[in-house]
Amino acid sequence: MTALQTELKEMIIECLDLEDVEAEEIDNDDPLFVDGLGLDSIDALEIGLALQKRYGIKLDSNSEETRAHFANVNALADLVKNHRTI
Amino acid sequence: MAGFTLEAWTALAPSLETKEDWTKWLSENTDIAEHQLKVNLKHVPMMLRRRFNTLGKCAMGAIHQLGLEDPNIPCVFASQHGDTKLTLSLLEGIGKHEDMSPTGFSLAVHNAVSGLFSIIHHNNREITAIAAMQGLIASALFEAIGQLQVSEKVLCIVYDMPLPSLYQPFSQSSEFPYALALVLSRDNENSLSLTYQKEGEAGQHLHSNPKSELQGFLAFLLDQSDGYQCRLNGSTWALQKTVNHAG
Repeated sequence: MTALQTELKEMIIECLDLEDVEAEEIDNDDPLFVDGLGLDSIDALEIGLALQKRYGIKLDSNSEETRAHFANVNALADLVKNHRTI
Repeated sequence: MAGFTLEAWTALAPSLETKEDWTKWLSENTDIAEHQLKVNLKHVPMMLRRRFNTLGKCAMGAIHQLGLEDPNIPCVFASQHGDTKLTLSLLEGIGKHEDMSPTGFSLAVHNAVSGLFSIIHHNNREITAIAAMQGLIASALFEAIGQLQVSEKVLCIVYDMPLPSLYQPFSQSSEFPYALALVLSRDNENSLSLTYQKEGEAGQHLHSNPKSELQGFLAFLLDQSDGYQCRLNGSTWALQKTVNHAG
């Protein structure tokens, strides 16, 4: 589980060019958008694309469910984990 | 004749950061290595800083050097080709049937840098992004002078970078990334004027490529020449210091 979260953090750092951010600095429970890490709507689209490329996950960009999946690293990890067990 | 006052200007390119650097470059015409670009963007929030590549960094760095008290003024951003390197990489991705990066797409538009600038400086004034195949600097000045009819001050950015080698046989481009930032204002002095030259009065120094255009303009800014002439849509225009007849 921790390995998956680290993997996701590294994916986020890489696909969003967060050069000055270390994986350890991102808290699993902290919001990724606005108040927490401070990502914006373009970043959300970029993460969506990365999830599709790496894990084959396709998300509806407007659904409430997607919003919940993108809340923090733990939520993203749950999404990837559930997708793998299907 | 269109008059204006040039309140301040800066220019930034790799290894060319101060007016002394540019003066030296004009006389020695040294080659510029892109990797020597040093731009301090500490004033830009980190989450926005990552969105700037070479071209945008030059523009933001040159603007920062101006030390504007109030950056919420109308702006003109002029670039002949924009970030064609980025556009080409997106096109190559399409060619390979890859999904396009939303960030890359959003930054490949011609007003991407001015958009980021407006977010960083909370600028909600008129912003124009222009592209001109000929007379880029003059086109930018014309647009800025137009803005001066309704505003006291205008920030004018001229910025470009080399085209990717694939495109170079088809169009001229700057030999290195650079940005010029100018603040134009209107006042009673109108110390500079852009004047239409009748056919036949065209001087010897008409610029045949982006580099000589930049060199000619810098020579004028650095007081090494009396005027700056350029050709625009078949007409010749001259930028000169206004002669004070009353004096």
